[in-house]
Amino acid sequence: MYYVRYLVRYLQNEVLVLPSRVIVLVFVASLLAFPLLTQDPNILRTLIVTALFSLYAVSWDLLSGYTGQVSLGHALFFGSGAYASALLSSHLSLPPYATVPAGAAVATAAGLLVGLPCLRLRKHYLALATLAFPIMLTGFVLAFPGFSGGEGGVWRIARLTSTRVAEYYLILGVALGAVVVLWRVVESRVGLIFHAIREDETAARALGINTVRYKLLAFALSGLTAGAAGALYAHSSAARIVAPGVVLSLFMSFQPVIWTIFGGAATIYGPITGVFVLYPLLDTLNVVIPKYRMLVFALLVLLILRFMPQGISTWIRDAIERVCPSCRVRNIATRRACRACGAPLQAQSPR
Amino acid sequence: MKSLISCLALAVFAFGSAVSGQVIRIGVVGPMTFIQGKHHWQGATLAAEEINAAGGVTVGGRTYTIELVRVDSNEMQPGPDAVSAVERAITASKVDFLVGGFRTEAMLAMTEVACDYKKIFLIAGAADNKLLQGRVDKNYNRYKYLFRVTPARSTYLAQAAFIQLREVMDLFRHELGIAEPKIAILAEQAEWATPIVTFLSLQINAPLAVGGLGGRLVGTWRPSALATSLTAELTAIERAGAQIVFTVFSGPVGVVFGRDWGRLQIPVAAVGINVEAQAQGWLDATGGFGAYAATVGIYASGVEVTPTTVPFIEQFTSRFGELPLFTAGTYDALYILMDAILRADSLQTDAVIKALEATDYVSTIGRIVFDELHDLMWGPDYVTGIGVQWQDGTPVAFWPREWRPDPQKLPDLVISAPGTVPYVIPPWVRDHWKGK
Repeated sequence: MYYVRYLVRYLQNEVLVLPSRVIVLVFVASLLAFPLLTQDPNILRTLIVTALFSLYAVSWDLLSGYTGQVSLGHALFFGSGAYASALLSSHLSLPPYATVPAGAAVATAAGLLVGLPCLRLRKHYLALATLAFPIMLTGFVLAFPGFSGGEGGVWRIARLTSTRVAEYYLILGVALGAVVVLWRVVESRVGLIFHAIREDETAARALGINTVRYKLLAFALSGLTAGAAGALYAHSSAARIVAPGVVLSLFMSFQPVIWTIFGGAATIYGPITGVFVLYPLLDTLNVVIPKYRMLVFALLVLLILRFMPQGISTWIRDAIERVCPSCRVRNIATRRACRACGAPLQAQSPR
Repeated sequence: MKSLISCLALAVFAFGSAVSGQVIRIGVVGPMTFIQGKHHWQGATLAAEEINAAGGVTVGGRTYTIELVRVDSNEMQPGPDAVSAVERAITASKVDFLVGGFRTEAMLAMTEVACDYKKIFLIAGAADNKLLQGRVDKNYNRYKYLFRVTPARSTYLAQAAFIQLREVMDLFRHELGIAEPKIAILAEQAEWATPIVTFLSLQINAPLAVGGLGGRLVGTWRPSALATSLTAELTAIERAGAQIVFTVFSGPVGVVFGRDWGRLQIPVAAVGINVEAQAQGWLDATGGFGAYAATVGIYASGVEVTPTTVPFIEQFTSRFGELPLFTAGTYDALYILMDAILRADSLQTDAVIKALEATDYVSTIGRIVFDELHDLMWGPDYVTGIGVQWQDGTPVAFWPREWRPDPQKLPDLVISAPGTVPYVIPPWVRDHWKGK
């Protein structure tokens, strides 16, 4: 009873007071309740891929949005997780509960491997260096076709679950859990250090922060998250096959960049918004106007970047909420005084 | 009033049920915004219109018409679109059968979905052995729904290309007096090309007496499938003294080869596999430099592989303004499917599979009989493909022409498809090597 009362009080005082948190609550509740409305395999598959790509986009946001280590070869992490998991499943017939953690571990190792040589690189030099890694892994895959399946890829991969609904809940659960953990990380002292490294690495080092260690941590965490997404993708009903042309492609590397910029970088919820808007939209456009789908998609992204340069979710949040100039607590835009300190709120909405 | 509305609703429902019950829905799968997918759709459209105009298909006393459903697999763009498209076609559009497909990695995934839903998928456009080998033979109950209608599997495509290379080498021996022609291999970096390169490397140097090609391999070059220039490779081939270049291209590098080879007047005759050279727009794509390029192909102007080849090509060309690509084999796929349904006199999947396994059908590309892998039988009595060369601005067939498949055991067996013309050594190649 105590916990119920605590939960109700928490909802009243911390969640229902801010529209952005209400939106998140409704969004998560809708996702959890969705199979009660329909179990259409197409819609569930689209939502499964969307949830997986959200996790993938969040991993890019953690590394590039928060820490400023711009990666243009993020498919390396997604692909290494997918390949490790698929190969273990295909060659050794291991079950997904063994192969998915193994895939995530391999991607974490890949994150550290990429992070080490890239420590001395900055900005576009770093971006270009990261771009090379998925190309190298593609070369490796093509060099050993007997083991890796070559261009055709790996198949005969065990399925995660026997039903689509179970798969949906499993992937949604993992994605939500991982996002909550990453949220706690970026809201902690570590997140502040990531911000500091992005803004001015030299200043951060002057303050005694071991930036090398934190940059490697960002690479490893990002690799772990993207690798988990890739490993789950390999076993999902949406993939069926893990091929270099799919999981290691340039398009796969650029997608999290587009999703994150569209939704709002360095926010965690931004990339999730980006994926949940853009992926189903692209999927629908493929049915409605397949010929013009990329044109419409590109126009939409351009318009959002032109009129909402901080990303769509940040733009919406700033339109419906204000930050108290005195205590920095967020308030609903209709309030005249801060809910925490009572200070008058300004008309404009600073970030 | 209420009862009138109820009656009307019931009538509409009953009519709707009857109509939907008399339609066979066929999903045509392909990258619809690309020429390959366009030809998938156009081939199927021609067949469906013909079958419907002839009164449809009568099964168990009921007459069905064919309704095509466009399934854009977006196979050229990597990602989960292909799986989405096929599953949507099966669950939302309620297709009864599937035909088409193009890229191997997409096809492997799409056929898995088809097998999950127990839907027959007639592959028309993907050649990789793996689509059937190791699947139908190893796990028949799961993969029995898959059949390949066109093209022949990649091993057989390579075999046809070897035979054509042998004929071009013979031409060099007889017309230019070169007893031991020098061969260069130019193959894109792709998995499917590797076994062809390995096998050919062994065959070229082997003497004629032991069944080899009796030539000399001067080198192998493996550019990227997306290379934008082959000047360095072609110059090296020229310096190596090659007289013939054996190409193995499926990607856009095939166009780059045609352009650079013709523009630089490299003194080597081309033969082999070059998918781009099968397209109507080949000469335009190569800036007019692609004349005399040759490739293993399926359709060419005027060649009559079977009695239905020329009427199909003429009809396709007059309707859509270009020669059909091999993906237009969806035309044959629909006829083969309807033939099996008629023989089974049922739309039940297992009955249609049994009927398909017993197929013996003369299509536009040859006689189609499926082997135990549900793959095309290849050879003189079945499907062989043709050799196509660009002569006077037109793709014409140069093979099979006076082809002796087994001169030792069957010396009298000579195969010539009506309408084939001799292979022509490019004039600049002939001038270069004449008298040397």
